[in-house]
Amino acid sequence: MDLNLLVGGEAGQGVQTVSGALSTILQRSGYFVFSIEDYQSRIRGGHSFTQVRFSTTPLRAALKEVDILACLNEETYQLHRRRVKEGGWVLGAVGNEREAHFQHFLPLNFEKIAEGVGNKIFANIVAVGAILGILGLDLESADSYLEEIFARKGEEIVEKNKQALRRGRDEVIPYVSSPLIEETRRGNSSLLVLDGNQALGWGALLSGCQFYSAYPMTPSTGILNFISSHAKEYGVVVEQAEDEIAAINMAIGASYAGARAMTATSGGGFCLMAEGLGLAAMTETPLVVVDAQRPGPSTGLPTRTSQGDLEFVIHASHDEFPRFVFAPRDPQEAINLVIRAFNLAEKYQVPVIILSDQYLADSKWTYENLEVKERPDAPQFSSFPLPYRRYLISPSGVSPRAIPGLGKALVVADSDEHDEFGHLTEDLNLRVEMHKKRMRKKETMRKEVRLPYHREGKDLTLIGWGSTWGVIEEAGERLKAEGIDSGIIHFSEIYPLPLQIEELFSHVSLPVVVENNYGGQLANLLERELKLPFPFRINSYNGRPFLVEELLLKVKEVGKNG
Amino acid sequence: MGNLFDSQVEIAWCPGCGNFGILRALKGALTELGFSPEEVVLVSGIGQAAKLPHYIAANVFNGLHGRSIPVALAVKTVNPRLLVIAESGDGCMYGEGGNHFLHALRRNPDITVIVHNNQVYGLTKGQASPTSEEGFVSKAQPWGNLSLPLNPLSLAISQDASFVARGFSGDVDKLKEIIKEALTWRGFSLIDVLQPCVTFNRVNTFAWYKERVYYLDDSYQPEDRIKALEKSLEWGDKIPLGVIYQHQRPTFQDKIYSQIEEEDLIYRGVNFDDLFSRGLRLFT
Repeated sequence: MDLNLLVGGEAGQGVQTVSGALSTILQRSGYFVFSIEDYQSRIRGGHSFTQVRFSTTPLRAALKEVDILACLNEETYQLHRRRVKEGGWVLGAVGNEREAHFQHFLPLNFEKIAEGVGNKIFANIVAVGAILGILGLDLESADSYLEEIFARKGEEIVEKNKQALRRGRDEVIPYVSSPLIEETRRGNSSLLVLDGNQALGWGALLSGCQFYSAYPMTPSTGILNFISSHAKEYGVVVEQAEDEIAAINMAIGASYAGARAMTATSGGGFCLMAEGLGLAAMTETPLVVVDAQRPGPSTGLPTRTSQGDLEFVIHASHDEFPRFVFAPRDPQEAINLVIRAFNLAEKYQVPVIILSDQYLADSKWTYENLEVKERPDAPQFSSFPLPYRRYLISPSGVSPRAIPGLGKALVVADSDEHDEFGHLTEDLNLRVEMHKKRMRKKETMRKEVRLPYHREGKDLTLIGWGSTWGVIEEAGERLKAEGIDSGIIHFSEIYPLPLQIEELFSHVSLPVVVENNYGGQLANLLERELKLPFPFRINSYNGRPFLVEELLLKVKEVGKNG
Repeated sequence: MGNLFDSQVEIAWCPGCGNFGILRALKGALTELGFSPEEVVLVSGIGQAAKLPHYIAANVFNGLHGRSIPVALAVKTVNPRLLVIAESGDGCMYGEGGNHFLHALRRNPDITVIVHNNQVYGLTKGQASPTSEEGFVSKAQPWGNLSLPLNPLSLAISQDASFVARGFSGDVDKLKEIIKEALTWRGFSLIDVLQPCVTFNRVNTFAWYKERVYYLDDSYQPEDRIKALEKSLEWGDKIPLGVIYQHQRPTFQDKIYSQIEEEDLIYRGVNFDDLFSRGLRLFT
């Protein structure tokens, strides 16, 4: 069983509440859920929708075809009606019935039904009830979910929501001859649902992050909200900075003083942080920065997704310095990579950049056994002879790190070129030695980076990075079912490229690089570093994530030409 | 005379620079208050003034132009036992770092901000600064500076800054006393230090300041915000020096630590399994 629900309406009609409700109710009923959010940069009006896919087996991507389309307004119907499967359901007081001859069409006026409960604001919950009725789920999980999320608004509101739920269900029952859910699962309480932002925030908390400073910017704001709401429980100082420049400088100051520190932003904010990134590199202060990508340049599309910042973050800030660039493929890996980022930032005293995107940030994934294999390392504040040399020129390039106030060492950090003690210098021979010392770290860092996820395929190999893993995997499986042996190489740790990468690419079938950007930024990086051509590229930059069916079509097109 | 805070680093300022007076006053204040170098963190930005931390034996974070305050705030927050001083020039604090200065006034971190205010850019050789007089002529403003000078003291007082003072680098003893007051004050302390630039500011010279500056006497009540605002507007023939405004209010770290019920953030170690199992409940 694999069903896909789409609920859409204007901003302000509670589409996100529907997404949360359906995801949680289905999860608690024992199903694996995968949901995506598509919304505009506004608080009222416009068009927003959520897609909630669920199954008895784990899910990794979003589909184009829809089993139930619930329309809180006409626009939702016009935009998405062609996606409804044959035999699928359309709910809502929309459209022209004649268009709907091929599907179940129930012209429910959600707002009117909600008015029966007292207010049209309950329309979204009426829609949830109608969907649950078609699916054939009992309302037990739904009731307890409504109690949880509306408890703060009082008993009356909880009760009215429950009534709305029932009205919605009762409206559809006469039309449901057999419920859509054929296989019922026993409620499995060990199923977890989390989105990318929660995962990145939780990863920071699990790493022992003690200081988080950020300026709100979509789609990274969820990390700030998540860490803030658990700051007391985990003992974290969270400060909303006056701008991204302050945010990164605060994080660097906190790290210098001995705390684990992180900041997050989106591409535009990362532009402002470029200066601070160089400061972290020059002062060799450990730092973790999340860039939740959205389309640009400039303000671009604030609430949409993109993988357009890879080349930027690899090169951001002037001159050269080593850094790690990671891009988790899903929330589970996001938790692991944040822990790893903190460990490596401290081990090498370098910035680590984690690339997320709106798709990963807002999508909800379900896990039966969440695997968090990484563990935060104990802090590496070493012993050292006095007077302390913060920038001791060592064979590895890494100098022993002391923390101000924790011992006798005076810790001198400088953004200017400096001597071993940290004092500014204009000795150009020393400059050369210091620059070599910093750059030397890259060689060891390369050994640290893990090889991409690799599954061989004889006919072609789909290559991607970050959040596209799931959709590439699923498209690959469908290709296989059609007799095309498709492999995958997927990068979660992108930069520096790992040592044995040449070897891995020495025997790869027709490579097709799939990216949510225009230029093919991973493909460019691979061409430059591997000296191999990557002419077959699938690029999408419309602000939306790849859907399985769409990617499949594009791969087939490439196949025809390749 | 030897001092615990003496540094071996060669000083790169022009002979006769006002910075020397500020350096002597700061070292004197730290010594007289009985601090030891390892409990002190000096955070600076970029500019001639921002080189000062290198000339003091202490912990130093010589960061980016304009960005000393966010770094200082974070250092103090992570380890409240440290004495944290942010110091830099007028261009760094009021120009490039103007936004951070504004928001520090709101947050009230327990740090001391010392601004070497010579009303000119020294390191880049003589352009107008945020505090240069209107009409100030330089290579970059050959027909005179068009903008009015920023009044940092009025700005700070209007935003209810916790401690606002003005010193003069030409009077090291009195400056030292002001610095001592600021360092022992709990809350955000601003000292705007008037300082001649012997190379690039031919208007606001040592003699120019000497003729105009005077100290507030004991009858002056720095707790009165409106009076303080009036005093801060005095500029021209007479320029007041001393503590102009003070108002005790809870500091940033007091408030944030009471919110999260912690005492400091120095690395505690992590009980991963506990954190993990507590967190799992959030997502079921």
